[in-house]
Amino acid sequence: MSVAIEFSSIFAKYTNNQMDIKAEGKTVGECLHDLARQYPEFGEIILDKNRDLLPSFDIFVNGEDTYPHTMTYQVKDGDKINIVLIVHGG
Amino acid sequence: MLSKKELKRYDRQIMIPGFGAAGQEKLKKAKVFIAGVGGLGSPVALYLAAAGIGTLRIADHDTIELSNLNRQVLYREKDIGEEKAASAAAKLKKLNPQIKIETISETISEANVAKLVGDSDMIVDAMDNLPTRYLLNRTAIQKNIPFFHGAVYGFEGRAMTVIPGKSACLNCLYHGVIVPEEKTPVIGVTPAVIGCIQATEVIKYILGMGELLTGRLLNYDGLRMKFTEFSIKKDPGCAICGKAPGR
Ligand SMILES: [Zn+2]
Repeated sequence: MSVAIEFSSIFAKYTNNQMDIKAEGKTVGECLHDLARQYPEFGEIILDKNRDLLPSFDIFVNGEDTYPHTMTYQVKDGDKINIVLIVHGG
Repeated sequence: MLSKKELKRYDRQIMIPGFGAAGQEKLKKAKVFIAGVGGLGSPVALYLAAAGIGTLRIADHDTIELSNLNRQVLYREKDIGEEKAASAAAKLKKLNPQIKIETISETISEANVAKLVGDSDMIVDAMDNLPTRYLLNRTAIQKNIPFFHGAVYGFEGRAMTVIPGKSACLNCLYHGVIVPEEKTPVIGVTPAVIGCIQATEVIKYILGMGELLTGRLLNYDGLRMKFTEFSIKKDPGCAICGKAPGR
């Protein structure tokens, strides 16, 4: 399964300014791990030591919230995963 | 009743189809609690004052610093060192002497939040930290009044409107996650965009016009100049707005 990964331009520095990224996997978890394989620095930002998603991020698939079963959330070919950082600035 | 001066002052908005003098009267009767008059709170307060919201209750415990001035457009360089709430009130009064402004310089806390919000009809979340945002969200649920969330980071921002009992709350969205509090980067135009979205939502809610930003998180990426929407469902197990709240 090939899915598109969309994320904030804040993180473009971890992907050599590439914003048009694809990842492979049957679940969100597999796709995020594939993303981390392609861009290890980005992986370190979003995943913890156990390769789980850090709580400061929310993941949406085709605009739908994947919480609370984010890592096992099924994806299919052509889906779009959004990586969203929880922000609190005012 | 609106005075002749008010009819003239608000003429251009009264002429919006569906708004009318009746809509202006609704704005005049409303009391809006604005939590924080910093980057987000500045445009929120300015535009709500300009629109003729009858009472603005503004809360901020900070004093004005030089580094605020890139985004907190209510303040001037000569205001440095003054209390934000008082300084904001003075500016808003000059903009619109016909509206009431109530100021609070206390820190919003668990102990005082219900009293500080008082009998306000709604809460605008223009805070700079998650714990106080959650506290205000819970207060809005308890008081059964709407909550207008906004947050910014760099060139990026978010907004969502919460209608208690109807749409997802801030806790449904972020499930109580607290991120480390640190100085966040921000360019002034970002809270201007997000604050104006919050103010738009407030005005729409009072007028009963249009579709609110409920059940939807609006994400703004200024660098790509792109708005994205995410669906946020009300969590039946939410500790704040779920079936057995208040545990
Ligand atoms: Zn909730």
